[in-house]
Amino acid sequence: MIYEKHYVWSILLRLYHWSLVISIVTLAVTGFYINSPWTQTTLEGTGLYPILAMRNIHGLAGYLFTAAIMVRLFLLLFGNRHERILDMLPVTSRNIKNVSTTLCSYSYQHDCHDEERLGHNVVAGIIYILTIVIALFQMASGFYLRLPENVFWQKWGVTLFGTQQHARFIHHSLMWYFIIFAFIHIYLVIWNDLRNPDGITSSIFTGNKFRPRSIK
Amino acid sequence: MTDTAHSTDLDLQVNRRGFLKGCTIVAAALGISEAMIPKLVEAATSAQRPPVIWLHFQECTGCTESLLRASHPDIGRLILEIISLDYHETVMAAAGHQAEKSLHDTLDKYAGKFLCVVEGGIPTKDKGIYCKIAGRTAVDILAEVAPKAAAIIAIGSCATFGGIQAAAPNPTGSKGVRDLVSGTPVINIPGCPPNPISFLGTVLHYLTFNRLPVTDNLGRPLFAYGRRIHDHCERRAHFDEGRFAEQFGDFGHRNGYCLYKLGCKGPETFSNCPSARFNDVDVWPVSVGHGCIGCTEPNFWDTMTPFYERLPNVKIPGIGGTTVDTAGKTILGVAAAAVGIHAAIGIGKKVIKGCGCKGEKKES
Repeated sequence: MIYEKHYVWSILLRLYHWSLVISIVTLAVTGFYINSPWTQTTLEGTGLYPILAMRNIHGLAGYLFTAAIMVRLFLLLFGNRHERILDMLPVTSRNIKNVSTTLCSYSYQHDCHDEERLGHNVVAGIIYILTIVIALFQMASGFYLRLPENVFWQKWGVTLFGTQQHARFIHHSLMWYFIIFAFIHIYLVIWNDLRNPDGITSSIFTGNKFRPRSIK
Repeated sequence: MTDTAHSTDLDLQVNRRGFLKGCTIVAAALGISEAMIPKLVEAATSAQRPPVIWLHFQECTGCTESLLRASHPDIGRLILEIISLDYHETVMAAAGHQAEKSLHDTLDKYAGKFLCVVEGGIPTKDKGIYCKIAGRTAVDILAEVAPKAAAIIAIGSCATFGGIQAAAPNPTGSKGVRDLVSGTPVINIPGCPPNPISFLGTVLHYLTFNRLPVTDNLGRPLFAYGRRIHDHCERRAHFDEGRFAEQFGDFGHRNGYCLYKLGCKGPETFSNCPSARFNDVDVWPVSVGHGCIGCTEPNFWDTMTPFYERLPNVKIPGIGGTTVDTAGKTILGVAAAAVGIHAAIGIGKKVIKGCGCKGEKKES
């Protein structure tokens, strides 16, 4: 069997993906620390500022996260055909069919009539769009907490979330979505890579996927 | 200003120097230029004192108690020289029909000119029967007075956001003034109780400029509620450097370290407490070792509790309250179990390795 290489993920998409990975890990670790600092500076006047440092890193990672989401929003509209929103949601007959074939395949049914598809499967597509929407709320609540005196964020923060305490609660709860998402995401990537020889894991590094030449 | 903190009598004889000093302190609290102080003095000494009607609804009178301890200016000077307090159930001499007559005289004579101060929440459930004064419900009284007032100052968390009565399940349907009044400007001075400086500053701002000060989205004047407590707290350095009181009475607590881990709501609360402080003795809750409970924020009885934890609990019907992190870990555990079962089925069916792959199938 001869496989041919297809360029699927643009460099911008891969940058988005790895920026998101780095920022989510950093944000979760520093976020847990800020919520409940597990260190205690026993000496005064040491010039150590652990909380301040963690908050700064959290802020920096937050801006990276924001930039990554902005890039993804751009790619949803102007990316290549695999990256656009219309390829990810069940809005065409091809995509609607893909939802059932994907669920069929994920539940180990035989004869699922998998179509060859280079981009996201549509189940993943729906979850990714949901993740981006949740990320927008996470960003908004983050900026509201970070810039409490900013007129814009105060107006929208109160409208969307209520008080700072509401925003903090929502911000903390949504973090768990990302942790659970990351866990299931990694499992399904490994699962797919074991099942299909299209090179799904390496595609996020190289941008290339593989499929048999015979299938057009 | 006379030494009110240490004298036993209520001394109303304020000398000129003390009076100017009081006006200057208020100007500083308001954040207005010192060039405006003469105008403020003029407004405060104006011969025509603006009439004020002070309505008490569902409340504990703590806000009035707090105002009685004001010193810049003190309550005596406020009601005898700066404003004309025509109706205030706690401090007025009149009672019964006489008091009600005074209220209605002011309403008729100064329609559109008087200031209305509301203290206490307004119960709206069951036609408002849970709060009645002189045989009339709070809703009716407010509906009569509010349209005739030049402006309304809602003092305290009850009048602004409903207060403790509005805590879930809010049995009396208590609401704040802004939820019920439209057409008359309303300014909110929340707090349980609010600092009298914030209230008097608003009154003097109104007398000086004839309009209410600039507010945030929740109707709170920015001069007093424009900044988070955490961002100008005297214990902030301990926070940044990571020194915390872990329990009440421990080493950190005795040394004045940050109360963040004891559930202090300073990071979520907007107020001038750390700078204005209370009662002329320069104290406020955090300075004496107790965390902020967020009393200037809407519905703080519901959202800021548990007071000694950072975040509110997640309420799951049938199970009760749990922390966000416990809920998150549980869901993650369920997801891990599901993943484990899914992988086990895959291995069991021997589809993960060796077959099930279209490419290899065709080869074989």
